[in-house]
Amino acid sequence: MADFLSAYSIQYWLESCPQGYLDGTEYGHAPGEKEPDPFVSDPMLRERAIQSTVQLVVGERCALAASSGLINAAPDEASKRYLATQTLDEARHVEIFTQRLYDLGVPKSDLESVIREHANPNLVKFAEVLLEKVDRKDFVAGVVGQNIVLEGMAFTVFEMMHAMNQKVNKKFAHTLSGTIADERRHVGFGENRIGSLIQQHPEKKPEIERMQRDMSYFMLATFADAFRKAPSEEERARIRAELGERGDVEWQGKSLASVDPSEIEALLADTVLKEFKLRLGRVGIEYQSPVRP
Amino acid sequence: MSGEPERSDDAESGSGESAPRQRFVLEETGFDEVPKKYRKYYRKWKGPQDPLGPNEVLCPVCKVVIRSTRELRVGDRVYCMACFTRFSVERASDGGLEARIEY
Amino acid sequence: MADPGTDVHAFAPDRFIEEVHSFEFWFQAVEGYLSETRYGRRPETPDVRLDDAERDRLVTVLCNYCVGETAALEGASGLVAIAPNRLTKIFLSTQVVDEGRHLEVLLHRLGDLGVASPEAEIEKRASRSLLAFKKRLLDLVAGKDWEAAIFAQNVILEALEFTVFQAHAETADPVTRDVLLGIVKDERRHIGFGENELGRRLKTSPTTRVRLGAIQRELDPLVLAACDETLAQLGTPRSERPEVGRSYLAAVERLGFA
Repeated sequence: MADFLSAYSIQYWLESCPQGYLDGTEYGHAPGEKEPDPFVSDPMLRERAIQSTVQLVVGERCALAASSGLINAAPDEASKRYLATQTLDEARHVEIFTQRLYDLGVPKSDLESVIREHANPNLVKFAEVLLEKVDRKDFVAGVVGQNIVLEGMAFTVFEMMHAMNQKVNKKFAHTLSGTIADERRHVGFGENRIGSLIQQHPEKKPEIERMQRDMSYFMLATFADAFRKAPSEEERARIRAELGERGDVEWQGKSLASVDPSEIEALLADTVLKEFKLRLGRVGIEYQSPVRP
Repeated sequence: MSGEPERSDDAESGSGESAPRQRFVLEETGFDEVPKKYRKYYRKWKGPQDPLGPNEVLCPVCKVVIRSTRELRVGDRVYCMACFTRFSVERASDGGLEARIEY
Repeated sequence: MADPGTDVHAFAPDRFIEEVHSFEFWFQAVEGYLSETRYGRRPETPDVRLDDAERDRLVTVLCNYCVGETAALEGASGLVAIAPNRLTKIFLSTQVVDEGRHLEVLLHRLGDLGVASPEAEIEKRASRSLLAFKKRLLDLVAGKDWEAAIFAQNVILEALEFTVFQAHAETADPVTRDVLLGIVKDERRHIGFGENELGRRLKTSPTTRVRLGAIQRELDPLVLAACDETLAQLGTPRSERPEVGRSYLAAVERLGFA
């Protein structure tokens, strides 16, 4: 265990993150980069950008509470120190996504009310399932919930959003690429550390599998809500015309501009669930299919 | 150490003192504990034998010298970025200036 | 007129707090003094051979620093959950990683000194007063008592570490000195945060002052005993020890706890 954890040391984190891919950035993007015009001037695009960014802030606030809470529950010093770096990564994510809300024109005084207005209730429930385990200082369940389920979801969502923004919004794509780099460490720790703990505590499996099923349900419900609120076909055609080629992006082999939002939802959900299944299988947990909302 | 003084036409005074304030051109002195753009506003303190310039005051919380581009006067507000503290400049019992915390 | 865009002292108080409690600030601040180091040591710093007795005393001292830093890591991480607002949560996250780094560099230094199993050594050499302090601090955090926990963590514990580490750095071997001075630079942010956070609250709440005063009276003997034990290990003459204790008491006094 000690050898694998040496790759998760703070020294390593300092060299790879603040002195590595974040060097020279401001709020995760190159200095001077701005939200491109249509995202600020087009009311529909701006509203959609605010809605999706609020979900990121909500998810990252949950991740911050969970990773900091897990430090006190960690059974060894090296895991505590690793989780200290993850805590700061999550705080950075809260900060950069909050900054994006300001960049999109949300006044500082309205931040909390905008978050309350747009936060998806199913995402809040997803967070509550995880934080209940953290509150009970259940390290194994907490790390599975945080570093495999939550981070696994975030990893895929960020990758999809990164693909969608790469041509139309370089600033936000740069912000996302730093968070994706962070998530790699987080999911890596989850899998590497939990595998051995699950072997030591097989009795915990049923409870963890229940938690994973509940979290997966609320995740799918969050996706369903988000895509249900997608703009009409007419609006989408207008945006496609406005963005031109820049809006034509491919993810998981599909052209996102030309498919229906329900297809994107299914693609996203399937990609995340497939990842869950693989990751959970590797640590010895049997994936539980949630009821489809 | 206090920075290079320059001629000043800045006659403002928060404390009612009428003489124009001296202005100072600040340069980095090797204090590396705050972001680069703020480093010139601070310097390391070398102990009681280290004299403070008219634009300087000692942070009583973390013992760093806080520097300003202008001569400090009673009533001025200064910040220590090394320990996040806000101060007002006050007259000390020895007649010099001291930083008093404003919570 | 000062330029409000770049002149630090022209910032409005809210802007100042927003600036210094951010990840961005932390990120650019630590870059200044950590970028050239590995495990807190600068590349040009020479190794100095310690005799057996010196090495043994240093190991005991570093083990106790590890107890303090573990308490600080667990305390700060618990405080993130009960912090009253977003900026405070973000600041505390930077403190969590600072405390984790301190623990890491101290453990690494113990490894350099030939300690094969630092965790076992820490258990063997930990000061009882410090362990009692750690337990009380973590009880306050677990009880979600924000004011008392910040007082114990960011005022009492941080002020103790700040003064002891500074005093130790003056006489330490070059590598230990590098490690300690890097830690002290972080501690400045922590003690400043604690003092300001509580100072604002104490100004308007006499009941908080009474409550925290009682906690201070309870924790003071533990802190001062731990300080005394460490200084004795370092060979600081008894006549100079009150001086170090005094600088801890000065911090507490600024908050009105004489």
